[in-house]
Amino acid sequence: MARNKFDVDEELESAFDINQLKRMVQYLKPFKGKIILTVLLMLLASGATLTGPYLIKTAIDDKIPNGDVGGLALLAGFYLAAITVTGFCLKYRIRMMSQIGQSVILQLRKDLFAHLQTLSFSYYDSRPHGKILVRVVNYVNSLSDLLSNGIINVITDLFSVLVIVGFMLAIDVKMTLAAMAGFPFLIGFIFFIKTAQRKAWQQLSNKQSNMNAYIHESLNGIKVTQAFAREEENEQIFREVSNSYRSAWMKGVKIQFLLWPVIENISVITVSFVYVTGIFWLNGSVTAGELVAFVGYIWMFWQPLANIGNFYNAIINAMAYLERIFETIDEEPAIQNAPNAGILPPIRGEVTFDHVVFGYEGEKNILEDVNFTVNPGDTIALVGATGSGKTTIINLISRFYDTKSGSVRVDGINIKTVTLSSLRSQMGVMLQDPFIFSGTIMDNIRYGRLDATDEEVIEASKAVQAHRFISEMEEGYETEVNERGTRLSSGQRQLISFARALLADPKILILDEATSSIDTETEMALQKGLEQLLEGRTSFIIAHRLSTIQNADRIFFIDGGRIVEEGTHNELMKKGGAYSKLYLSQRRALEAG
Amino acid sequence: MRDYKSGLFLGFSLVLLVAGLNMLNPYFSGRIVDDVVYGGKIELLWVLLGFMIAVTMVKTVIRYSFQLLFERTSQRVIFTLREQLYARLNELDFRFYDRTKTGDIMARMTGDMEAVRHFTAWTTYMIVENICVLLFAIVFMFTIHAPLTLAMIAVTPVIAFFAYRMSSEVRPTFSEIRAQFARLNSVVQENISGNRVVKAFAKEDHEIGKFSAENKAFKEKNIQSARVWEKYLPVLDSLAGVLLVVMILAGGFMVIQGSLTIGELVVFNSLIWALNNPMRMAGWLINDVQRFIASAEKIEDLLNEQPGIANTLSKKAPAVSELSVQFQDVTFRYEDEPVLSNITFGVKPGQTVAIVGPTGAGKSTIVNLLCRFYDADSGEVKVEGMNVKEWDIRSLRRHTAMVMQDIFLFSDTIEGNIAYGMPDATMEQVKMAAEKAEAHAFISKLPEGYDTIIGERGVGLSGGQRQRISLARALLLDAPILILDDTTSAVDLETEMRIQKTLRSVLQKKTCFIIAHRISSVKEADLILVLEDGRIVERGRHEDLLKRKGRYFNVFKNQFGDFDSRQFGEEVM
Repeated sequence: MARNKFDVDEELESAFDINQLKRMVQYLKPFKGKIILTVLLMLLASGATLTGPYLIKTAIDDKIPNGDVGGLALLAGFYLAAITVTGFCLKYRIRMMSQIGQSVILQLRKDLFAHLQTLSFSYYDSRPHGKILVRVVNYVNSLSDLLSNGIINVITDLFSVLVIVGFMLAIDVKMTLAAMAGFPFLIGFIFFIKTAQRKAWQQLSNKQSNMNAYIHESLNGIKVTQAFAREEENEQIFREVSNSYRSAWMKGVKIQFLLWPVIENISVITVSFVYVTGIFWLNGSVTAGELVAFVGYIWMFWQPLANIGNFYNAIINAMAYLERIFETIDEEPAIQNAPNAGILPPIRGEVTFDHVVFGYEGEKNILEDVNFTVNPGDTIALVGATGSGKTTIINLISRFYDTKSGSVRVDGINIKTVTLSSLRSQMGVMLQDPFIFSGTIMDNIRYGRLDATDEEVIEASKAVQAHRFISEMEEGYETEVNERGTRLSSGQRQLISFARALLADPKILILDEATSSIDTETEMALQKGLEQLLEGRTSFIIAHRLSTIQNADRIFFIDGGRIVEEGTHNELMKKGGAYSKLYLSQRRALEAG
Repeated sequence: MRDYKSGLFLGFSLVLLVAGLNMLNPYFSGRIVDDVVYGGKIELLWVLLGFMIAVTMVKTVIRYSFQLLFERTSQRVIFTLREQLYARLNELDFRFYDRTKTGDIMARMTGDMEAVRHFTAWTTYMIVENICVLLFAIVFMFTIHAPLTLAMIAVTPVIAFFAYRMSSEVRPTFSEIRAQFARLNSVVQENISGNRVVKAFAKEDHEIGKFSAENKAFKEKNIQSARVWEKYLPVLDSLAGVLLVVMILAGGFMVIQGSLTIGELVVFNSLIWALNNPMRMAGWLINDVQRFIASAEKIEDLLNEQPGIANTLSKKAPAVSELSVQFQDVTFRYEDEPVLSNITFGVKPGQTVAIVGPTGAGKSTIVNLLCRFYDADSGEVKVEGMNVKEWDIRSLRRHTAMVMQDIFLFSDTIEGNIAYGMPDATMEQVKMAAEKAEAHAFISKLPEGYDTIIGERGVGLSGGQRQRISLARALLLDAPILILDDTTSAVDLETEMRIQKTLRSVLQKKTCFIIAHRISSVKEADLILVLEDGRIVERGRHEDLLKRKGRYFNVFKNQFGDFDSRQFGEEVM
């Protein structure tokens, strides 16, 4: 598996794809009505605002020379009405803008998050978690402005441009054409910078992702960093990571900021051109008032054009994020429900491996032809050296990975034919390293079965010998804990995770080095309770402690991805094979004390 | 901010210059209208247009430069802020991390930083620019016609009033948005970090539910803020529009009366944007300022967070190759919960102390106090006769190499992970450490050997493999004090035996702390401490403790009981 680390940019596989924009637009579809209404209101508003120059033209050309005070007052009144209308339109627009923008963000983020839940271990294992986090939280946020302000602005601006051109045409056609002369230059320029800009923003999103990943990992590993007094080294690395983000940013804005000056220069040249044409070529056919009003419109004409240019900028920028978001949404889960997957009915707990072979893509096989059938209620101990494939076997039972060939069956049903959730919800897995969610201890145990009552939680804790230390804490089950926290020792975390697994009341229980950090006495006590708990459950146990292993109904000795011996402790000891050798060597080691 | 003074000063000067230049074009427009269009002085047209174009070019170049200048300055500001925050995060002690969620810190390092960036890069100069434009316009208008100017700026106090109201109302909404952003960050962050548990328990729907609640709340908080904008921004906008009404009415009247020329009115008209725009912008800028304040406060809080564990003035860093350790009547509480009581013991240089006892007895706390991850509430922890509080913290920690119970590996190569504490270590040194930790064999079998990148938290490796990498990481340091906290719990017994054999020679020269559950791991120690509920209940060497037939003996018996209970009936002792 190729893994990514914080300072490696994630390669993007797709080229600039207009479809991603179309997909984005899909998110806006439910708000079509609202968008149209908002745009109409905004047009009304800009129409009202646009009356300004016309009113002034009338005032200067007509009312003032004629000394018509009443007419002036009428014009003023008219404009007052116009700004009131504008005000109301603006109010509505702000409301719609926030609702539409926020709703789209909500939906997009939800889709992204929900999809992440379907992705398998390999996705999470192959990149720093900070890089996933940045997509769900920060990238999506970066789109919010484009989706709310941007879309509405650009539609409104497009219409404004049309309306203004209309006004201009009404005044004079030839001058309007003169005013348009700068337009091709602008288009040309925008296309010219597009490629450079897209690259710059992609670079930026990569650097942002790297930086986030580094911060995130630094936080998670803070204890190691402090223990090894490596702060200065890390600060140096962070400085570099942070600096490449800064450079990428500057590169981006250098290009982006070019747009505005270019537009301003083109517009001033256009205005000059219009003055010249108005005065020389059209001599006499344009009134002074018309010319003044016309120039007023040109300024107004370039404003929305500049906005549209900026919108284009924003889209290029957003694409860098959008690509990443859709890339994640499109990531095919390595493990997924079969198209017609059924629900696994309540199981008895029989587990069969039928010629199971497993290995990662392009790597040596980890399991070779594993075969066994475990009867419901049996306890199986998996024994073997580190890396022999024990954990892989149990990962296949929960279908955390899929077999390369062969099948895994529960109660005779191939687990690939049933839904993941119906399979996994009937299993209790205690992972090698327990994860503690931030929240109370109660919540953490209850994670195993969300509708469990407090009593049931306490019951489960008692069964795994966790009740004593929990109730000794100041706030007992309500004590707040978190992942990085040092509130709990490793042994205590394991006990909590154990209680969590038991609370799920699973038919199949999987304990992967579940008790490695627990002291012998607690473990002994645990074992007594465990015997009852294991009754009626099929359990798979990986442990190094001999006591745990000896009590199992069957022992699988695994070596090089195969089950080389199996049987009860006594049978295997009689056989005098690998297991008995291991056992005796350990015994000797202990005796030496 | 002080470091950026010169840059900001230059920037603001350029802003002023541009604001001044902005006044010129309307003036030229006015001249064109007055002198050329109405006055018929066509020869002036070329000059005026030439000026207009030249001014625009100069203006846009300057504007581009100062925009970049402000961007650069703002990048420097947040670069420094990030650097300071990062350094602060490295200093903060475990108590801080016990109560702070990762997502909350991430929010400060990303979302809040963005608010600061936006403010310094854009809002600051927009404010200055708008104020300048407004003032210039007013001054300019005054020189043309004072009464009309006065009439027009009469609306300003009303605008100021509404702007003020908006400012105070919008502030709390931004605080809530950013708080919610932190919560959203946390829920996503934990979901990603805990993805294995989520899948193992098939709790995806529950997770989506948890997330959706925060996601919705984030939307609501944003909309709440928009409600305030909705209330004030249109009012501010309309008030800015009133200026035009005043101009038409009062200006027109004055022209009719003859106290104002029509050309002057045109100049006013062309300057009206300079009054209008700043007033329109006021609302948006206020939003930005308030958003900035809400975020800056949080960043400042974190910057001002004082580490509970810090160097005292006397910080000393003796360089010694062998160190003794003493605990004298040490008591430690976590909040109000007693964790350690009256712990007293001493270790001579080169000796090995083993600590055994039930889960949660306080074993790890003893070594955490030694490395000063926490400070004792009373009593003294001394290393080489000196209270650890007087040691330079980093020097103390460099003298203690620790293998932690809770293993964290970084998403880096195996080599990078082993060399974590000594980044300039040679490949030879790394390999040697790996060999001592019995890790070399399995690492060499990996397709990419020491260059294999392991995932965050070491996923992809088994528990035992991670423990051995973590052991190699500590051994590489060759520090005088070695702490092994439950180092081999996930390693199979055979490997453990081999590790112990190689460690034996390493340990001879070091002061060593071993926390373990297996008697086999501790029996050779010079001193064994049996801990229970934070107290030392038994102490001595293996043989002494067995003779006492106390707790240690029981544990020993239990572990050997495994053998007794089955076909090995003979006495093991």
